[in-house]
Amino acid sequence: MQTNKNTQTSKTDRSAEKIKSFLSFKLDTELFAIPVMDVIEIVEVPPITKIPQSPEFLKGVINLRGAVLPIIDARVKFGFPSTEPTVNTCIIVLEVEINEEAIYVGALVDAVLGVFEMDENAISPSPTIGAKYKANFIKGMIKNDDNFIMLLDIDKVFSALEVDIVLEVSE
Amino acid sequence: MDGMRQIYIEEANELLDSLETALLALEENANDKSNIEQVFRAMHTLKGNSSMFGLTHISDFLHNLESIYDKVRIGELALSKELLDCTLAALDHLKIIVYSPDLEDPINKERHQQLSNEIQQLLDFETNNVPVKEDLLATKITASKTYHIYFEPYPNFFDDGSNPLLLLAEIAGMGKTVVVPHFKTIDFIEEFVPTECISFWDIYLETTHDEQSIFDVFVFVHDSAFINITEIPYQGLLNNPSFLEKVHATASTAAKMDIQELLSLSESLGINDKTLVEKSPKPNDNTVNGRIEKNKEKVASSVRISSDKLDELMNLVSELITTQASLSLFSENNKIAGLETISENIEKLSRRLRDVSFGMTLVPINNMFARFQRMIRDTAAAIGKEINFSTMGGETALDKAIIEKLVDPFMHLIRNSLDHGIETKEERIRLGKPEVGDISIKAYYSGVFVYIQIADDGKGIDVEAVRNKAIEKGLLGEGQNLSDKEIFNFIFHPGFSTAKVVTDVSGRGVGMDVAKRNIVDLGGDISIDSTTNIGTTITIKLPLTLSIIDGLLVNVDNIKYVVPLSAIVKCYEVENKLMKNNFNRLLILDGEQIPFVNLREEFDYELSCNLLSQIIVVYDGKHKVGISVDAIVDEYQAVIKPLGKYYKNQDFVSGATILGDGTVALVLDTNKVIDLHIKNTMKYAN
Repeated sequence: MQTNKNTQTSKTDRSAEKIKSFLSFKLDTELFAIPVMDVIEIVEVPPITKIPQSPEFLKGVINLRGAVLPIIDARVKFGFPSTEPTVNTCIIVLEVEINEEAIYVGALVDAVLGVFEMDENAISPSPTIGAKYKANFIKGMIKNDDNFIMLLDIDKVFSALEVDIVLEVSE
Repeated sequence: MDGMRQIYIEEANELLDSLETALLALEENANDKSNIEQVFRAMHTLKGNSSMFGLTHISDFLHNLESIYDKVRIGELALSKELLDCTLAALDHLKIIVYSPDLEDPINKERHQQLSNEIQQLLDFETNNVPVKEDLLATKITASKTYHIYFEPYPNFFDDGSNPLLLLAEIAGMGKTVVVPHFKTIDFIEEFVPTECISFWDIYLETTHDEQSIFDVFVFVHDSAFINITEIPYQGLLNNPSFLEKVHATASTAAKMDIQELLSLSESLGINDKTLVEKSPKPNDNTVNGRIEKNKEKVASSVRISSDKLDELMNLVSELITTQASLSLFSENNKIAGLETISENIEKLSRRLRDVSFGMTLVPINNMFARFQRMIRDTAAAIGKEINFSTMGGETALDKAIIEKLVDPFMHLIRNSLDHGIETKEERIRLGKPEVGDISIKAYYSGVFVYIQIADDGKGIDVEAVRNKAIEKGLLGEGQNLSDKEIFNFIFHPGFSTAKVVTDVSGRGVGMDVAKRNIVDLGGDISIDSTTNIGTTITIKLPLTLSIIDGLLVNVDNIKYVVPLSAIVKCYEVENKLMKNNFNRLLILDGEQIPFVNLREEFDYELSCNLLSQIIVVYDGKHKVGISVDAIVDEYQAVIKPLGKYYKNQDFVSGATILGDGTVALVLDTNKVIDLHIKNTMKYAN
């Protein structure tokens, strides 16, 4: 698998600013972002083979150039109902760390928006009050133009366990 | 340089392993010559390798050990328990310092010094006790022998231009020689014919060459001279002044040395080297031949390959098979003349390639057993028990990746047997059992699996104690009725230990659950069977090859599955309505009542609209169960890819495979499907 790293090196002084690149994507109406370094590649959605009796957020497996890749339905993970794929639906192939082991997994998302650069210091911590999702899944909030984008901790979000990301309303 | 060091370390470890095996065998039988040879050879080779890399600490350390064992193998020294214990301690030390040969760690340095001193003491003690004779020092204790050569050319010897002096020179070149010339007596000077040879010689030769080589010197003159070679079985004669005086006494006379006289003279003067001669390796000795043959065998039958290369080969073979599947599919869909035959040939070849290359990753389980032997010996000694450790089926081969992961769980299980299973000597005698405890490991194939049984004849596991502990821990309800086997399964729960006393060796309840997890992670299973006072048997089941299997490609609701061929007994076609209203979930096939599993139902697919279903009867070692699918597509060689952590819970699918058209098919673990069905049925029944 080729690493699709964003190698735009900026010649600005790195000691003061920590510029990192992020990939933003859309799930239903919400916007999320993940560090580009964790993204291996982005592919179109091939036929997905569902494994019987598996949890709903595990969509199944696909054939990625001869390897078997598990697919997580990110919509389901974030509390949205599962829908039929559209022309924009795609799979982001990620490398996550589970139990100190690096595993590849594909995240099924509604659309990929783009790559943007951001100063790490400019990322605000995620608000605890009024938050929709449990705090440890969200690393921070990014304001990009008029949008609020939630930066994800992919190791926690895409772990193999069936953990609820969505906060219960009563909490 | 790093690569070379890596090779050195690998070779060193192999040599140390072979050394350990031989030493342990010598403990049982100190007279086995081949094991002594193996010890010596391993030390010698390791010393040489270490010198080559400038690792003087190691090579010096080995030097004295090697000398000791050299004496042992020529019979000058006897193997004592002290020597063996010291050698084993030295072995352990070597295993450590192979990785840090400069002895940077002060602990290593201290141990090194201590062991070196011990070895030196052993060497000095034994050397000082062997009487050393002056003459012995002069003559090397090798296979050198003393010969008497009587060389009398016939009178016509000079006729073809031969020069006896040249032959004598050649003999002199073969070793230490003393040559005594003689002349035949001539009564009257007129009778002397100058062209005739009247000289003859007594030659005494000390050489390592054999008699045949001496004879060969005279090869061209066999017809024109009388040659007699006698071996004198006494050493040191040619240095002995009395002997030399005697033989020279007849020089320049017509009197040749009488053989009998020579032998009795030698006996009185020489040192009888009969015993020494027998001990030094004779060229025709069987053990030497055996050793040489064994070496040759070893060289011919194995090649060292880095496991990375093997892994790469496996991957390539897997991809080849996947691609070949595409080719088959293509040829089916496109009827091009000749393509089908070529595709079939490629299929046959890739199947064979698969079998051969997968055979390479299989390693006999023997390697593991050797490690256990050492551990058992040391642990048994430490806790004061005597154990007889036997193994069976050591040639059973397992995927090498699996074997490495088995060592820890097995060590734990054996330690348990040692510590908690086998009773103390006194207890055993009281129970009428033999004083020496028995621990055995048996390995064998069955179907797609390898079974390994660790058995001991100890006190067994108290079912009631386990039961009570399980209830105490809340794992079991008081009234619940479970079979012994199911109760024993609780032992694998984390923190579960019925040991009254936690010892240094085991008893904390930490090991069994880890052992089970390790084995289950490998796709295997573990179960316990035990009878009080008779013993305990632990059975471990492991999959044979991880990656490629022959299977049947089937359709269930448009999802393709692969059923491993080795589990299949027979396939039948059955009308769907027979399965629908079936109360006892039994079908009658070939006159037999066989329970069945409806996969559509099991996997929560919609009910089928078809009229017919295919029933594949599989055997899980105990029961025959029929699995119903929509259709059987074809035979298929599946390259199994693991599904990964995400699908850990869906264990009835043992992996996935990529079909020729690029879609993913799921590989069924039929045993687990059966288990699943039983679980579900019980659920419905309650």
